[in-house]
Amino acid sequence: MQNETVIDAHNVSRIYNPETIPVYAVNQVHLHLSKGEFTALVGPSGSGKTTLLNLVGGLDRPDSGNIIINNIDITKLSSNQLINFRLNHIGFVFQSFNLIPVLTARENVEMIMHLQKIKRSDRDLRIKQLFDEVQLSDKLNSRPSELSGGQQQRVAVARALASKPKFVLADEPTANLDTKSAYNLLDIMAKLNREEQITFLFSTHDQRVIERARRVITLVDGKIASDTQPTSTA
Amino acid sequence: MILIMAWRNIWRNKARSLIIIFSIMLGLFSALSVVAIYKGMMRSRVRTVIDREVGHLQLHHARFKEDYLAGFVLPEGIGLEKIDSMPEVKATTRRTVTTGMLSTATGSSGITIYGVVPDDEKLISQLDKMIVEGKYFPAEMRNPVLIGKKLAKKLKLNVKSKLVLMFSDSTNAMVSAAFRVSAIYESENSSLDERSVYVARENLNKLLGIGTATHEVVVLLHRDEDLDRVIVSIGKMFPSLKVERWEDLSPETELMVDTVNQYSYIILIIIMLALAFGIVNTMLMAILERTRELGMLLALGMNKVKLFFLIQSETVFLTLAGCPFGLMFSWFTINYFNRKGIDLSIFGDEMMSSFGFSTFVYPEFPFDKVTGMLLIVVATSILSSLFPAIKALRLSPVEALRK
Repeated sequence: MQNETVIDAHNVSRIYNPETIPVYAVNQVHLHLSKGEFTALVGPSGSGKTTLLNLVGGLDRPDSGNIIINNIDITKLSSNQLINFRLNHIGFVFQSFNLIPVLTARENVEMIMHLQKIKRSDRDLRIKQLFDEVQLSDKLNSRPSELSGGQQQRVAVARALASKPKFVLADEPTANLDTKSAYNLLDIMAKLNREEQITFLFSTHDQRVIERARRVITLVDGKIASDTQPTSTA
Repeated sequence: MILIMAWRNIWRNKARSLIIIFSIMLGLFSALSVVAIYKGMMRSRVRTVIDREVGHLQLHHARFKEDYLAGFVLPEGIGLEKIDSMPEVKATTRRTVTTGMLSTATGSSGITIYGVVPDDEKLISQLDKMIVEGKYFPAEMRNPVLIGKKLAKKLKLNVKSKLVLMFSDSTNAMVSAAFRVSAIYESENSSLDERSVYVARENLNKLLGIGTATHEVVVLLHRDEDLDRVIVSIGKMFPSLKVERWEDLSPETELMVDTVNQYSYIILIIIMLALAFGIVNTMLMAILERTRELGMLLALGMNKVKLFFLIQSETVFLTLAGCPFGLMFSWFTINYFNRKGIDLSIFGDEMMSSFGFSTFVYPEFPFDKVTGMLLIVVATSILSSLFPAIKALRLSPVEALRK
């Protein structure tokens, strides 16, 4: 199972301002991610971490190269197909939580399953399981404004997992969290990775995340400068 | 879930949503008020035409209206009195009508002379109630004539002034006779006042040389709804006569009703345009404020149809919240003014009465148009939010999430 390919990106480039002064945000990157990986994408600001994450997540399109996920080249999908693909195959955790403020924690998670047209009884079961995993069973009916930053980010993790995605992309997930909340979140994600084989790809500068990662890919000027597998506590 | 989001979204910025709800309420109120005022004006005009001018229907000799020749009288002995006994008929009167010239020492004017039976005329045109000066056909006065206020002013005539009426008799010979102004009347239709004078029928008949004959029978019914049925019955009773309903006798009124209806739609369009711009502006603000959130929904997998539905639902909720208030406010206000009336003399007595309108309008709540109005308001709101919704659909998740 460990070798099942989740992401296979070939020669992917993303160029900004191609007509004027081209900026290679991502430059001919090859990326291969297998099921169950817990990978950190690191590098200085402007190195292309978020851009690569957006490309792999189907939020942006590369100017060249292919990204194969679940045997589908997502660069060939139409805009509407991509939306549907993201819904069913990719989980997202954003830096600034991005929960819908008018929905409760439960509704934020349920919304994804609702979009997937999952029936109510299955939704209820999944919600219970997810909120147990992120240790927020007592906050089901709280609005985001009633939750701390760490709690909001855990709801965001539950939401990312709601659709049972192939992998979760997390863009600087601990950037806005205090140390205790950050470790708590990392513990939960590491546990999900370890016990449920959920694949995580983080973009981060956070040393706390890097320390937990089993694989660290360093990007510099849009290119992969190193790809290492340090000993990890995850 | 989307509907829940839409409903909660509209209350995120209460002040803004209340402004939209208030705009929709005001838009609906304005639209209904315009229609109610027009409806009141038209109803009043139609009532004036029926109750004070031409009645529900009239009978004439088939050729009388071609040239208003005195010889085309209604045949006698055909049983016109049968009309009086019809249960639907409230009152009838017989008139002699001719066209001619009114002359005084200071000037002259072309007029229509109505020879009326004073007591019957009271029941039909309520001419006696329109007197502003003088007496209604006083018995002691020889050859009395009632003239309109506008004509009196034009020819500088007063009560007891002497004037000469000149017209053709039944043999087409010119006749003239001196009359004395017994009263000056003022109706709601000043242009009619300027060209209509009333004399006693027996006096006019003598001058026309038509004995006791008449030119027209005016019929007033108890209920407007009976008109279609009664006109068919009378038509069958007197196939040789020309039987006309009020719309044919006063075609300008029908034209006016149609024109005013069209104007009310133009005003409605202007009101709806103002409402539409308000909605576009507010919904655009609501979307620009939530660019990041909408981008995130797209990123998470909400498809464009659902996103479009979300935004449209927000507008529909706002509209549905505004419409009941608009309806209630309109109903109370229009009903209040329906009892009290609105004085439009500020817009000019002369202008209103020259078109045959009273300066006092009693607006009527247009129940028959409420559904149409609601549909127009809802459609306007939905159409207005199309632009903001399409703008939201064009968002790129990456761009939106950066904001």
